[in-house]
Order: sequence, then structure tokens, then C-alpha cells
Amino acid sequence: MDLTKVPTVRRMCPVIFLLDTSGSMDGAPIGAVNAAIEGVLPELIDMSDSNADNEIKVAIMAFDSEIRWVTGDSDLITPQELRDRWNDLDADGLTSMGEAFNELHNKLSVSHGFMKNASGSVAPVLFLLSDGEPTDDYQYGLNKLKQNNWYKVAARVAIGYGDSNDDVLREFTGNKETVLHTNNPKDLKKMIRFVAVTSSRVASQGSSSVSDDGANSPDDNTQNVATAIQAQGGALNADADEDW
Amino acid sequence: MSEFVRLQKDQQINLADGGTATVIGKLGEGGQGVVYRVRLDDTGEEKALKWYFVSNFNNPRKFYDHLAENIEVGSPSSSFVWPEKLTVWNYDAPFGYVMPIMPKGYESFSKFLNAKAYFNSANAMVNAGLNMVSAFKALHYKGYNYQDLNDGNFTIDPNTGKVLICDNDNVMGHGQYSGVLGKARYMAPEVVRGDKQPDKLTDRYSLAVILFMLFIGEHPLEGQKTNVPALTNKYDKKFFGTEPLFIFDAKDKSNAPVPGLHRNAGMWKYFPSFVKEAFQKSFSQESLLSGRGRLLEEEWFNVLMRLKSSIVKCPNCGEEIFMESDRETVCNSHKVKPVGYLNFAKRSNQAVTVPIVGGAVLYDYHVNSASEDFEKIAAVIKEKPGKFGLENKTNRNWLITAPSGKTTTKQTGETLVLGANFKIDFGGGNIATVVVNS
Ligand SMILES: Nc1ncnc2c1ncn2[C@@H]1O[C@H](COP(=O)(O)OP(=O)(O)O)[C@@H](O)[C@H]1O
Ligand SMILES: [Zn+2]
Repeated sequence: MDLTKVPTVRRMCPVIFLLDTSGSMDGAPIGAVNAAIEGVLPELIDMSDSNADNEIKVAIMAFDSEIRWVTGDSDLITPQELRDRWNDLDADGLTSMGEAFNELHNKLSVSHGFMKNASGSVAPVLFLLSDGEPTDDYQYGLNKLKQNNWYKVAARVAIGYGDSNDDVLREFTGNKETVLHTNNPKDLKKMIRFVAVTSSRVASQGSSSVSDDGANSPDDNTQNVATAIQAQGGALNADADEDW
Repeated sequence: MSEFVRLQKDQQINLADGGTATVIGKLGEGGQGVVYRVRLDDTGEEKALKWYFVSNFNNPRKFYDHLAENIEVGSPSSSFVWPEKLTVWNYDAPFGYVMPIMPKGYESFSKFLNAKAYFNSANAMVNAGLNMVSAFKALHYKGYNYQDLNDGNFTIDPNTGKVLICDNDNVMGHGQYSGVLGKARYMAPEVVRGDKQPDKLTDRYSLAVILFMLFIGEHPLEGQKTNVPALTNKYDKKFFGTEPLFIFDAKDKSNAPVPGLHRNAGMWKYFPSFVKEAFQKSFSQESLLSGRGRLLEEEWFNVLMRLKSSIVKCPNCGEEIFMESDRETVCNSHKVKPVGYLNFAKRSNQAVTVPIVGGAVLYDYHVNSASEDFEKIAAVIKEKPGKFGLENKTNRNWLITAPSGKTTTKQTGETLVLGANFKIDFGGGNIATVVVNS
């Protein structure tokens, strides 16, 4: 008999990044984003390998004058695959956030998007990063997104940098506690990592221990992330092993 | 509520027993807190310190007192990485507890399920099941229940099957309730339905899920019916609560594994009938819908001991198999059946048998009804052309009675040639009968 097993069937936990790569991000900010994404991948790999219920899959959209799925526009990929093929993003052009929302809406679909997975999927993480005013009609895209059932159940988080319009970010997340802001590139790197790890943990292990005291509705993952961010005392909280 | 503050290297922490500990570094981080490596300043010993995100608690003081009580009552067995000391209580400030550091060489059960870790033998895999069952027997015996039993609680040594159980902070005394319902896919259906709070009986359901996943590598309730390529959370209540159906249900095949998707489901065919029956009972509609018929830990223990003693090399092709005692076992494209088996008195209403095949092993468990030792070898079955023998590896004399009435004794190191209907008295009233298969 051969008792060697293949990986058990897991659901997919999509983690989707929408990254503003407009011209104003050029220099230190895009450097921080690149370093943060690269830095967070080993943590996502480990988180996914240690989870027998849900497998983390990622997608990255870079939006400026155009929108582009850096990870490919047919499927989500594993954090391992992303690490193997990761290339730094460049910053240039405008901030087509409305188009980004519209494209995200199109991809949050089982029949013609990213969400088709044989063993099903849990609610995704939607991570938005921006440093400026949308230069297109963001309302148009956001209104469509708000009708999307995946968007509704998602853990929605956002980071504003510099001159970002945080009201738009709050409209995207629907929860002011899951929008963080910084003006410092070094903090930006830490913050991206902190928010990405915390939200991915909540989304991929979220159903982990459901408390029945009504405090956390298991269906409101955005609020669950807000609670987790708060419990950890915010992003800028150094740890015993932190490098300078 | 105060903010959570991460600990710094070299920071000194005051312990509730008056001692202090110094932070050395970080070991890991979870949803409930951060785990640090610390040194106890009085003894110099290194320990792990779990430092909570206190604002997660509705009532931190109550949780602190609960931990104090578990420390006082003590660990159920050496398999538990149990809390040892609390940090001082300081109104509203973060707190944590000290526990042993997990030794090297153990892998999380989740990694086994994700095929990132592998057992090095069938024996190690079965040992892991026995160790899990023993640990929960000890836990329940001590009056605790786990309430949040899931794959994340176990770490296993792939070479020996030794198990360590971590994350014991939600373990509760009988009748107490932690407020944690458990993890989806591991919660008992009655908990999912909201009919009941977790207790010993619901722990037993979760334990059966863990054992099934350990052996088969798939979830017992996920098959054809639950295969929805969409958002799964919203179906959880139905699949795991109101309409659960075992993928190998004896009568209803509508939730059978999906070929190509549930690719580990093929493991099922390797397991002997008594293991299949134990799972079919654990996940029968009766168990799933009304909580009846679940196996007690001692019952599982006996089933798994029988499984362990069924591990032999196929007499036909030499491949390792789980061999049935009293019926045919399918191995590759042939069938094999032993000439007979050793039949012991039932334990907790479970049959105890060992097939008579060269290489089969008996443990202290078999020759001593008070023993649950499944490591210490008591006897081995040997084979020569035309005969089978049983070598005495205990330090007691065996008394053997043949059907003719003739008796003989076998001392340590001696081998008895087995004959039909012999009664072998291992001492202390533990008797096995040699049953010949027709
Ligand atoms: N006793 C320990 N020894 C070594 N590492 C530990 C110990 N306890 C926990 N850890 C590490 O800390 C991580 C988080 O701990 P865990 O108890 O799982 O947190 P949570 O229950 O908050 O999710 C674990 O994945 C593990 O790497
Ligand atoms: Zn064979």
C-alpha cells in the first residue's frame, strides 16, 4: 500500500492587491512598495503552508494611466509562484482608480474571473494602496464593485500615502478603521506588511475560532480585520526581533 | 482598554510567582498574541511566553483566572505543552503565560495535511493516532474538555509519531465554557447548528475528524455534495451542520469523493474493515444529527491498537499492508488471508486480534490488560516453512494449553510453535486463543 498523500483539498483564500503606480509614487514610495511586497511573500507562504483549510492565492494589479494584472489576468497564483517571478514595479502616469475598481469587479466572478476554484473559495482580501486623487470617475467603478457579492464579504483594507484622498479609501473599505495613512516611506513599507499579514491571517484563518458573544460577526471580515489591527496596537509597534 | 505593547529584547517581565523572565527574541505570532522566547532569571531555563492581544478579551481578568486554574490543576499528560506560570496581573495591561519551548523535529499537523511533511512509516502514522487518542483520554479524565480541537493544535514527530498539543489556553473544566465555538470544519454539527455549546462529546466528534484526516488525508464530510466552486463560508452551516453526510456513508453515496479532486480518498481502501466501521459509526447520520454513537477514546485506542498490530508485509508480494485477521485483504491485484489469528478478550467492547503472519508484533498492551503501552514489544510472530511461532519477549513465563489438555511453558526468548485452538496465558489472566481461519 502507498500511504503517501498529496496535499489535502483546500479552499482558496484570494488576496488581491490594487497598487497605485502613478507618477507621484516614483522614487522612495514605489521602492517601499516593492520591498514590502517582496518582504511579505515569505510570510504568506508560511501562513498558507500551515493552513490545511484554505490556501492563499494572490493577484496584484498595478494601476496608473492603465491597469495591468502583474500576476496575470487569468488566475490567481500562489505566493511561492509570485516570489519566483516577482519583478519590481515602476511608477509612471495617472491614477485610474475608477478603472481599477471596474476591473476588480470584473475579476471578482466565478464564471469569468478569478474566483473559479474547484474546491470553492472563502471571502477574499482586497487591499488598496494609493497616494493621490483618482484622475478618473472612481464613483462609476466603485458603484459597480459595491454590487459585487465578493466585494461585500471581503476583508477590505487600504493604505493612504502622502496626498492620498483617504475619503475615497474609506468609501472603498466601508470601514474607517481599516484605512491607515502614513507620509514616511519607511513606515509605508512596515505598514503594507502589517496590514497585508493581518488581513490575510483574518481571511485565511478567520473562521478559526468563532466566538458566539456577537462581538465579531463571522461575515464581516472587514470589521474582523479592524479588530485585529486594533488589538495589535497599530502598525508602528516594534518587536523584539526587529531590524533597524 | 490599553494598547497592546510588543516586548523588546532584554525586557524583564514580572511573573506572578515573584520570579522574573527576560525576553530573548520572538518565536512566532498568531491570531491571539505573540509568542516570545524568554529566559527564567532564577534557573536560566529557556521558555516560551505567550503574550496576549488583551483587547481581544471581553473579560481579561476572567481569562487570566482561568489560566491560573489550569496551571493549578496541572497538565493532563506529557503530550500537552501546558501553561506553567503567569505574568503578573496588572489592571488592563497585557499579560501572558510561560510554557515549555516546543522541541525541534516536530511538524505541525497542517503541514502533514498539505503534504509538506510526511510520516516515515505506517507505524509512525498509527502511533500519532494512538498518541492523540491517549492525550484526549487523559484530558477528559482530568475533567477538562478542549472545546476548540482542530488541526492547528497538533505537532507531530514524523519519525516516531509522538504528538505535542499546543494552544491549550481554551481548555476548560467540565461545565465551563470558553466562549469559543471552535473552527469551521472541525466543530461538531450540533455546535454548528447552534444546538449546543462545546463539551466532551463535541470534542469526540472533532477527534474523529482529526483521525480521519490523519489517515485518509481528506475531510470526512467534503465530497460530491459539498463541491461548490463558489463562496464556501455561506454553505458551511449546511454542509457541516444541518445536512452533513459522510463521504463513505454506508448507505448514502451522494457525497462520495470527487475523482480527480479528492485524490487522497483512495487511502480508504487500504484500511481494515474495523477501522472503516469505526469511522462509519463516528460519522453516521445518527452521530451527525443527534450526537449518538461516537466512539469513546478507549474505543478508538483499541481500534488503533488493532490497526497497529495489523501492519505486516504481504506474504504474497512483500509490500507493507494493514492485514485483516479473519477475512481477506486486497493487496495490489491479489488477495491475502492469514492462516489464523490470535484472539484476545474484547476491550471496551472492541475486538482485539493479531493476524498470524510472520513479522506481526504484540505489545505490552496485549499481554497486560492494564497496560496502554504500544511501544514496548511483548512478542513477535515468526515464520518457518510450514509453521508459525510466537517468541516471548516479555520477562514472564507463558503457560500454554493445547486442546488435548497438554500444557507447556515458554520463557523469555523462547518461541512457541502455534497450534489450532491453543490458549496462551501471558500471566495475570491475559489469555489469547489461536483461531484458525477457514
Ligand atoms: N511553546 C512554543 N514553543 C515554540 N514556539 C511556539 C510555542 N507556542 C507557539 N509558538 C509559535 O508561535 C506561533 C503562534 O502561536 P499560536 O499558539 O498558534 O498562536 P494563536 O493561538 O494566537 O494563533 C506558532 O505558530 C509557533 O510558531
Ligand atoms: Zn501483496
